[in-house]
Amino acid sequence: MASRKESATASTAVMAIPAGTLDSPVNQIQIEGLVVLKIIKHYQEEGQGSEVVQGVLLGLVVEDRLEITNCFPFPQHTEDDADFDEVQYQMEMMRSLRHVNIDHLHVGWYQSTYYGSFVSRALLDSQFSYQHAIEESVVLIYDPIKTAQGSLSLKAYRLTPKLMEICKEKDFTPEALKKANIGFEHMVEEVPIIIKNSHLINVLMWDLEDKSTVADKHELLNLSRSNHLEKSLQLLMDRVDDMSQDIVKYNTYSRNVSKQQQQKHQYVQRRTQENTQRQSRGEPSLPEEDMSKMFKPPQAPPRMDTLLIAGQINNYCQNVKEFTSQNLGKLFMAEALQGHN
Amino acid sequence: MSRFFATGSDSESEESSSADEIISKAPGGNFKQSLLISDDEEDTKRIVRSAKDKRFEELTNLIKTIRNAMKIRDMSKCLEDFEQLCRAFLKSKTIVDKEGVPPFYIRLLADLEDYVNQLWEDKEGKKKMNKNNAKALSTLRQKIRKYNRDYETEVAAYKENPQESADEEEEKEAADSGSSSDSEEEGEEEVMSAKDFLKKKPEVIQDASAFLKKGSGDESSSSSDDEDGEDWGSDTVDSGSESSDDGEGKHASIAAVFLKKEDKPGDKKLGKKKKIKKKERIEEEAEEEGGEAWQEVKGGMVMEKPKMFAKGTEINVPVVVKKLNEILQARGKKGTDRAAQIELLHALANIAAENNLGEGITVKIKFNIIASLYDYNPNLAAFMKPDMWKKCLECIDELLDILFEHNDIFIGENIAEDSESLIISDQPFRVRGCILTLVERMDEEFTKIMQNTDPHSQEYVDNLKDEGHVCGIIDRLLNYMETKGSTEEICRIYLRRIMHTYYKFDYKAHRRALGLPVETKSEQDQEESEGEDSAVIMDRLCKFIYAKDRTDRIRTCAILCHIYHHALHSRWYQARDLMLMSHLQDNIQHADPPVQILYNRTMVQLGICAFRQGMIKDAHNALLDIQSSGRAKELLGQGLLMRNMQERNAEQEKIEKRRQVPFHMHINLELLECVYLVSAMLLEIPYMAAHEFDARRRMISKQFHHQLRVGERQPLLGPPESMREHVVAASKAMKMGDWRTCHSFIINEKMNSKVWDLFPETQRVREMLVRKIQEESLRTYLFTYSSVYDSISMGTLSEMFELEIPTVHSIISKMIINEELMASLDQPTQTVVMHRTEPTSLQNMALQLAEKLGSLVENNERVFDLKQGIYGGYFNRDQKGGYQQNKSYNREGRGGGYQQNRGGYNRGGYRNQNYQNHGNQGSYQNHGNHGSYQNHGNHGSYQNQGNRGSYQNQGNRGSYGNRGNHDNHDNHDNHGNRGSYGNHGGYGNHGSYQNHSNY
Repeated sequence: MASRKESATASTAVMAIPAGTLDSPVNQIQIEGLVVLKIIKHYQEEGQGSEVVQGVLLGLVVEDRLEITNCFPFPQHTEDDADFDEVQYQMEMMRSLRHVNIDHLHVGWYQSTYYGSFVSRALLDSQFSYQHAIEESVVLIYDPIKTAQGSLSLKAYRLTPKLMEICKEKDFTPEALKKANIGFEHMVEEVPIIIKNSHLINVLMWDLEDKSTVADKHELLNLSRSNHLEKSLQLLMDRVDDMSQDIVKYNTYSRNVSKQQQQKHQYVQRRTQENTQRQSRGEPSLPEEDMSKMFKPPQAPPRMDTLLIAGQINNYCQNVKEFTSQNLGKLFMAEALQGHN
Repeated sequence: MSRFFATGSDSESEESSSADEIISKAPGGNFKQSLLISDDEEDTKRIVRSAKDKRFEELTNLIKTIRNAMKIRDMSKCLEDFEQLCRAFLKSKTIVDKEGVPPFYIRLLADLEDYVNQLWEDKEGKKKMNKNNAKALSTLRQKIRKYNRDYETEVAAYKENPQESADEEEEKEAADSGSSSDSEEEGEEEVMSAKDFLKKKPEVIQDASAFLKKGSGDESSSSSDDEDGEDWGSDTVDSGSESSDDGEGKHASIAAVFLKKEDKPGDKKLGKKKKIKKKERIEEEAEEEGGEAWQEVKGGMVMEKPKMFAKGTEINVPVVVKKLNEILQARGKKGTDRAAQIELLHALANIAAENNLGEGITVKIKFNIIASLYDYNPNLAAFMKPDMWKKCLECIDELLDILFEHNDIFIGENIAEDSESLIISDQPFRVRGCILTLVERMDEEFTKIMQNTDPHSQEYVDNLKDEGHVCGIIDRLLNYMETKGSTEEICRIYLRRIMHTYYKFDYKAHRRALGLPVETKSEQDQEESEGEDSAVIMDRLCKFIYAKDRTDRIRTCAILCHIYHHALHSRWYQARDLMLMSHLQDNIQHADPPVQILYNRTMVQLGICAFRQGMIKDAHNALLDIQSSGRAKELLGQGLLMRNMQERNAEQEKIEKRRQVPFHMHINLELLECVYLVSAMLLEIPYMAAHEFDARRRMISKQFHHQLRVGERQPLLGPPESMREHVVAASKAMKMGDWRTCHSFIINEKMNSKVWDLFPETQRVREMLVRKIQEESLRTYLFTYSSVYDSISMGTLSEMFELEIPTVHSIISKMIINEELMASLDQPTQTVVMHRTEPTSLQNMALQLAEKLGSLVENNERVFDLKQGIYGGYFNRDQKGGYQQNKSYNREGRGGGYQQNRGGYNRGGYRNQNYQNHGNQGSYQNHGNHGSYQNHGNHGSYQNQGNRGSYQNQGNRGSYGNRGNHDNHDNHDNHGNRGSYGNHGGYGNHGSYQNHSNY
């Protein structure tokens, strides 16, 4: 991700818009059909299973609307060709695109996901570096599995300003997070998406819909999706395990802190007692000692990971909820149909 | 070394060990034999030679070190060694008197004096010396001057003509030591080599002549020096000179060395002439040199035997007793030869017998003979030698003979020495001694012998044949004790008898029980088969012990042996009941290790017995402890595990070795493991099938799982070879419900020869096993594949598993009753109808998730608890006076209605709560009475009233909206989504609530 960060900073030079000068925050994202198709195609050609594909989004901000008009993929690169220069690649790509008069402004990136598991440290880091450099950057998350089930799943996210501040300070201790008053639900915000096509394409679509047979739409009505649910549950369980571990870690930390606090307290009391005794005897009181040196506070576990896990769990839950509600709907419908027949 | 130990040179000879052990040992070994055969005069001659060699060698060694010290000008070392040399020389005075002052000694004296004087004159050098050395030099100078005065003539003679004298002496020496035929040659050779030596190396050595003399001295004094040659590299020089000589010379010199080394056979011939003259000297030497035990003993024997009783003394009981005591006094003392003592005692016994002194004295002497036989080995670890053992058995037999013949002999340990009556009179004999202890000791010795014999050798078999003899003795003693002994003694001897019986399978009784004719091959067999069954004997003996014994240990052992015996003979219920009645499981860990080993053996035997009877679960339980540790070998006392030395030092190892069970009593470990694994398989596979989705599935047998994993890890699966692989392969087949394959893996040629044929009732066990495999496979099959079937015919199942329909029926019924199988039986069609109530994998997963979430919540609450502890003051930040006023009201309200409403919660906490005091937190263990509660008391609000403070906190906030400071606790935000707010309804009619809403 480091390289991506670099690329982001590098691209600022290209971008004419300096950070923090947006008149109004982006409220809406308008995606060209072309971009959607390109992303889907990218995944279908290169991604398999849990592998993730990524790419760069190009476009520009118009009023409170971020228009994404084009994109290009990052090549999948293996460990072998470590000398592959991503920055170079991006710059080259954008320059070439400019030559053919395509929008060449960097406005974010896209990534595919596996059963909705994308809330990770890596994503956070790279999105942070994007947003740090280009304020309006978003990440488009494409879920191929859901799409394969018949409903296109494409979502745009960006980090909240709060999280941006925390990330800027790089202070993930419990205290700092508490001060910032950030919960998992405040970490990222979803930006509504509009997919825009030219009228010609719309016309073609209508035309195609008329022609398509009923069988093509059956995909949507398929009921047996327990496999999907199982997978989700499995992933959810893993995350819950992680969460449990983190909590246990935090628990030990707090216990240690409180123990130390007690010790400190006792020590101070002893000290003052002795001092009063000494004073009554007319002796000089003991010199002050550096408490922080004597009682080094234990290392606090970083809480960001926990937050991320919580966010991910939330995500899974949303997924499951969505999925089950859809399925329930289908089941009711099927029942009604059956009763009707 | 070990060779000599093995042939039994006494330990004393070890003490005399010097540079050349071979020389001093070899005669020792020979002597040992001669002691047993005859008193050969030739031996005495050899002793002399050896003594002289030894002394001289000591001297030469010292001389060598002195010369070394001289070379490096270390005066203090020189002085020290010189003093030692003087002392050593004084010691060997007898030899010197006989042989004359050894020339090499004179040579050294002369050289040393010269050397010292030379140093003394060298003022420059002296100044350079350090203080110690200078001091030593002056002392040495004075000493040597004084000392040399005694040897003035010799030294002078030497100084006059060093070389000639050396040659002369050399010749003399060689002639003296060599055999008559070889001596010439040898002498020449040695001189020659010495001369060569001189010629070749004069410039190297400081003092050529001295070296020459020393060299020749070395050679003449002891052949071993030739070999050792550690000094001045004389070895290489030697060989160099030899190789330059012609072959004959070389050969001769080798021969010389060889001759000297090899027991000096020539000496015998030569010695004969001198022997008479020398004999006196031998005696002197013997006395002087306590270290040479064999020598002393030899002398002692020769002299003492006639001396035992002076000629003409009337030999009567008191005299013999006196003599006996005399002999016994030497017992245990260092330097006493135990073998000789035994001989003496035998002789004494013979004398007593010859003179008809009566049985009393014979018995007494016999006791002592046996005792000294036991004493023969210096430490507990060593075991008796076969001849000793034979002798011991004979003695005990004889003793028992006497005791049986003469009913009027009283023996006992508590008869005082002076109240013994050994003289023939009307009164019965009273002898001090305990035959029981002797027999017990004998039994232990027997065990020791068996422990120390290689179990796979013929020797072991031969030794094992003595077992009958031992048993015979024990039996005889048992008979004797039954008439004469006290109860405790009877118990002890009974236990001995039991110990020799419990582990033997009674084939005769077994055959008889089966109704087969008992084959009798010989008279003896006939006799034996007519005897009681071992079961009857065991029963009788053990019951006596249970009734009469007062020491816990004997009873424990007897019980264990009894159980073992029962188990061995497949009397499972008796064995099990006895085991359960004894309550040994509870306190066996307090017993001493041998008893624990016996306990382990018994448990294992019990388990195997249960297996034979088809009690798989019992078998598994009995074997679990032993097998799960992975140290079965050690726990059963059948061998030591290889462990690093930190865990066990040599001492411990010795102790552990002593605990080992002799090989013929071993329980076959492979059989044990196989029985365990097969039992585990029969239990575990259906269990695994039944609990496939259970998150909290426990393992029945860890070891079995381990074996399975090992099997899975194998990259290439060939046909099973070892017993374990067979079981693993069978388990895999069973998992699929394929009983035929499972059967063929468990019972086949290989497994038969390895395991199953070891059981007495092989066929029956195999049949049982097949049946078990069929049943368990059926169960596994039903567990695994029930979801595939809507219904299944019992006829088909019965066909598939080759079980009768009633059996299938009963198995399935049992499964249904135990709720293992969700199905019902349809009687008319003889089918099993599945109910399909098992959760699907998705449901299983949801259950698992719920469980995990539960633990997550718990963890989270723990964090919250702690948080309240630390940040006790945190919530008080926005405290307002008005709240506090309200609080008193709250308390009242809560005291009444609230507690009633929340009956299920831990009210005690509420009642006692001091709402303001944060220090009390320790007492709230229950989450319901969460610390946060108190703090909120200060606000007068009920935010945490629910038992789950953390849950309801949020909810309350929403409903009351009176929380100004709430934004401060971010962590509470997390709870917003939690679901369990249902309890809230109860709050509505709460008095305090209404009040609350006022603010």
